[in-house]
Amino acid sequence: MRTTRRTLATTGFLLAAGLVVAGCGSDGDSTDTGSAEAGGEGSSYDVYALLPQGTDQPYGTTYLPPMEEEAEAQNIGLTITNSQYDADRQASDCQVAVAAQPDLIILWPAVGDTVRPCLEAADAAGIPVTVTNSDVNPEDKDLTAGYSGPDTYGQGASSAEIMCELADGEEIGILVVNGLTGNSTAINRRDGFVETVEADCPNVSILAEQPGDWNKDTSQTVTSEMLTSVGADNVQGIYAADDTMVAGAIDALKARDIDPEPLHITSIGNTELGNPLVISGELDGTVFQSSSWDGRNAVVVAGQVLNGEEVTEDLFMPSVKVTSENAEDPEVAPEW
Amino acid sequence: MTEPQTLSLGDTAATDRAGRLRAVLSRRTEGRAVVLLAVVFVMALALEPLVFTAYEVTLGRVALIGLVALGLTAVILMGELDLSVASTLAVSGVVMASVPNIYAGIAAALVVGLLIGAVNAFFVVKIGINSFIATLGMLFVLRGLAFVLSGEQPVRLTNIEAGIAFGRPLVGPVSPRILLFVLVFIALQVFVTRMRVGREFYAVGGNRQAARDAGIPVDRRVFTGFMISGFVASLAGVINTLELTAADPTAGGTVLLASFAAAIIGGVALKGGRGSIVGTLLGALSLGTIEVGLTLSGVQVDIQQVFIGGVLLIAVITDPASLREATANFRLFRRREPEVQS
Repeated sequence: MRTTRRTLATTGFLLAAGLVVAGCGSDGDSTDTGSAEAGGEGSSYDVYALLPQGTDQPYGTTYLPPMEEEAEAQNIGLTITNSQYDADRQASDCQVAVAAQPDLIILWPAVGDTVRPCLEAADAAGIPVTVTNSDVNPEDKDLTAGYSGPDTYGQGASSAEIMCELADGEEIGILVVNGLTGNSTAINRRDGFVETVEADCPNVSILAEQPGDWNKDTSQTVTSEMLTSVGADNVQGIYAADDTMVAGAIDALKARDIDPEPLHITSIGNTELGNPLVISGELDGTVFQSSSWDGRNAVVVAGQVLNGEEVTEDLFMPSVKVTSENAEDPEVAPEW
Repeated sequence: MTEPQTLSLGDTAATDRAGRLRAVLSRRTEGRAVVLLAVVFVMALALEPLVFTAYEVTLGRVALIGLVALGLTAVILMGELDLSVASTLAVSGVVMASVPNIYAGIAAALVVGLLIGAVNAFFVVKIGINSFIATLGMLFVLRGLAFVLSGEQPVRLTNIEAGIAFGRPLVGPVSPRILLFVLVFIALQVFVTRMRVGREFYAVGGNRQAARDAGIPVDRRVFTGFMISGFVASLAGVINTLELTAADPTAGGTVLLASFAAAIIGGVALKGGRGSIVGTLLGALSLGTIEVGLTLSGVQVDIQQVFIGGVLLIAVITDPASLREATANFRLFRRREPEVQS
């Protein structure tokens, strides 16, 4: 009995202490992140942003501040969720968002094939949904009010065009490192790259492809494995779906004492990791993706819809090719 | 005739009814979970009452966290672990979506869950591999299998409308997910408390050798526990795939740790032999309410994880066994202090 009382007393004390700290912490966090509860004071509109990443990823870390600044400028109260690329979690976040009855939902799909129930629930509740970064499937577009973000298929195609120019008609074999399996951006970039290569430069053969999961270490591992599998001497090029992974692929080459400069290596992103590689000559070309543009325009399009404008066309981020010729230009300064 | 003598055991024996109630309560393991749930509810009422007005959303999150946790509890009660539940969820969903006929797909997915459970039990019982290692290996094998079967892409249901219809509430706010969660809870609660086979799980977890000596077919019970865990995980995969209208081979990323957290918060001992299905339910209720409340409050997910990790630590620290050990160590330290000083 004394043990039970002691247990309950200790439990109660620790919980109370923890929750006091938590209460102070959550007040501070709401202010620090710039997000506000739905129905926050002074906001013209309340918007939920259902994102699959945030400060846990480099892109998200530089995507969020411009998004929050634009929201503040438009007097929009923004509540941001992060499902960490878990489709079930995002579906649950969507249910929470619909229950909160915001004026609009900004959706960045974790997995494009699984968002239709969320779109239908929002539609049934009369809540417009705009999409950012990764577009929904064509058959689901009628349930959305607008899209802003990269043309992910076009990014893959642009990277393939750089590869085709570099190959210049020569028969070469390349390795492909894809993004996170099942992710819409990964699928679209891969399709854009592969289909463009097949159409424009069939002299370029894909010897092997593996997912690098948007992770540098994973990319280094799978690249090394592919080099072993196909024979390093047979590889004249590498394409990776983003700069983080191409950095890992280049490290894999260096670990085998293979000089990356003679190889044809392309990727997407023009990040703080990739841009120096282009300048140094280890990376031959990349495609600029601006996280700040992405975050800011997610709210711009949302604001247009909230103000009654009809958004008839997708707002695509310019896909600027970055090579040694323009890598140091201020217009393509890396952001993430 | 002499009066029957009664042993006096202090306050506990003061009155029969009170004493019996105290005896029953002292054997329960859900005390901490009840206290935690009460605190969580009070905080949610004060800070984010939408958690309760939109209770169907909260219940949906509880069901998402709690379903796999319920099946996992059957394994943990026997002192075993099943780390493959998240991968089982994913591969079951892929199997279901790959079959054109939705009913055949559901049946196939559930059979896959039972088979996975049987395979896990085979490694543990017949081969003698520690369940942590065996199910860790299966975690990777099954995840890879999900990618292979799906062609590394989400697999859409053939009948998407059936999936969307499944996600809609049946009666009032009760969706099929919530209903199935309640049914699984009732079934498992009856199983471990009213059926001999289920009650023997505690004996197997409490002292396996003593259970064998008492004639309990321990190996068979372990098989049953793992198959329950596999079946419930595959049921969760079926529900997720129907609600999302597609199977994602990367599904279940947050399920494993959340399920263990719900069970531990509910008072289920990882060493086995102690805990309850009710406790896991209470743990899932607490976690689900916390998550929904924090999301509605706009708290970032990484801060949410600090909260949930803190709750988990409190649950572990306030475990009576942990408290007894900590108290004993402290007393030992205090007794040694004068020796060190002299």
